[in-house]
Amino acid sequence: MALLRLLQLASATLPVGAFSYSEGLETLVHSQQITDPQTLHHWLRQELSLGAIRIEAALMLRAYRASETQAWDQALDWNRWLSASRESEELRHQSWQMGRSLLRLLEKMDPPLPVPTDILQTLRQEECNFAIAFGLTAHHWNIPPDQALLGYLQSWATNLIAAAVKLIPLGQTAGQQLLFDLQPDLEQAVTVILDLPDDRLESCGWGLAIASMTHETQYSRLFRS
Amino acid sequence: MLLSDRTTDVGVSPSPASPTAPPEATGWHGILRLNYGHTPTGTQIQHSYTQAPLRLQRPFYPEGPEVCQTVLVHTAGGMVGGDRLEVDLQLDAGARALLTTAAASKIYRSNGPEVQQQIQARVGPGACLEWFPQETIVFNQARYRQSQRIELAPGGQWMGWDINRLGRTAHGESLVSGEWRSRTEVWQAGKPLWIDRQWLPASAEIWASCHGLNHSPIVASFAWVGVAVDPELIQQIRQCWEACDRGNQETSQAGVSRLQKGLVCRYRGHSRAAAQRWFIQVWQLIRAHHWGTSPPRPRVWQQ
Repeated sequence: MALLRLLQLASATLPVGAFSYSEGLETLVHSQQITDPQTLHHWLRQELSLGAIRIEAALMLRAYRASETQAWDQALDWNRWLSASRESEELRHQSWQMGRSLLRLLEKMDPPLPVPTDILQTLRQEECNFAIAFGLTAHHWNIPPDQALLGYLQSWATNLIAAAVKLIPLGQTAGQQLLFDLQPDLEQAVTVILDLPDDRLESCGWGLAIASMTHETQYSRLFRS
Repeated sequence: MLLSDRTTDVGVSPSPASPTAPPEATGWHGILRLNYGHTPTGTQIQHSYTQAPLRLQRPFYPEGPEVCQTVLVHTAGGMVGGDRLEVDLQLDAGARALLTTAAASKIYRSNGPEVQQQIQARVGPGACLEWFPQETIVFNQARYRQSQRIELAPGGQWMGWDINRLGRTAHGESLVSGEWRSRTEVWQAGKPLWIDRQWLPASAEIWASCHGLNHSPIVASFAWVGVAVDPELIQQIRQCWEACDRGNQETSQAGVSRLQKGLVCRYRGHSRAAAQRWFIQVWQLIRAHHWGTSPPRPRVWQQ
């Protein structure tokens, strides 16, 4: 059951609009900093070991733990923390839009998310980041935390590779090969993130921040980030 | 003798025989505590305390009595592993202060212990703190950790920049070994407005990567936090950058974006002067936009 639920939550068909975001890749391809499967693999690997996705995933896990212990105020605190730490307005809006969509979906599904009404309302008012909504859902659906982490990162990688296949462009086979080759990097990231203490929530953010800020004014765009 | 020890580039600790040298194991612990009050005659330093190697120059008022300009001096020339600096600032309601440093900071290579700089600030209602130190030169193999935590009262503002030279470029050196951290957190009423936790576990791969440094020795940030920013100002800041960088796009990259209450600018490139020129313009633009006057640049930045 947990596996089926993970496949559903991490699926590219989850209606949260992930496909419309490239997280700076559109700029990096446009400026020829990413041009082929090797340079894309390098970027994704750097993100997993040093970047913003590592922090996002670590906060997904914190929302999961908050739900487990019903420490709802902690879920709110981590949501604010994530909103305050995004590299650009565009990335913040991406995270909020996807979080809002997931919460809305869960409200209409049965069984409903067991989060107290006032907490849900605060999350909606302050805007809920996707990582936080994903963590709350993963716990609600009884997906083990390490698998939820792997699913979170794998769906992120799938989405960015799909964006790059369109942007560079790459063949579908090259995209699938890269996703396959990324497996050890994803597993390694899960191992690190599971034990990442709060004091190590830090990232090397120069490349992503500048790519994403530049994307905000890119003249012609296919993607919303 | 002590000062000359510190100004060499070898990164050794001063001799323990020197009467003012710190104990080998713990290093220097410089302290600065300042309390700015807002009086009918303007912003004034009401309490101050310093411990070597930090020292304070006499405050001055090039903009008039409302803004107190304060220059910090680090008298030892540079910092070695184990050294700590602690800065604690309090601005009472309505006070306005601009702090800068007299010279660049140098962080020497370390065989283990970190150099730490900790800044805490409490900014009262309607007060504004501007923190504009000169560049930090981080030697290859240095280990540096800088943390800033700012608490804003309602209506309080913070503006600051952080300009880093990674490696002694004049010696052809890059930062490919060592570790650098720079953390800034701005909070208001128990909620975070901006959390920036930059981490650089230096390596040749990160130095060369477009995800990391892209072969750039200068990384710099500017932020203004506490006030909602309209998109028009962001647009003006972008235009400023384009003017600063004309003809130089190959090697330098920069961006600006809105925070929930504020804005942040990033620079990654090869010119400390270009980054600083841009940041000074952004500062003047924000001042003109928000307070109605564009201030003169402090004298210590003139060179």
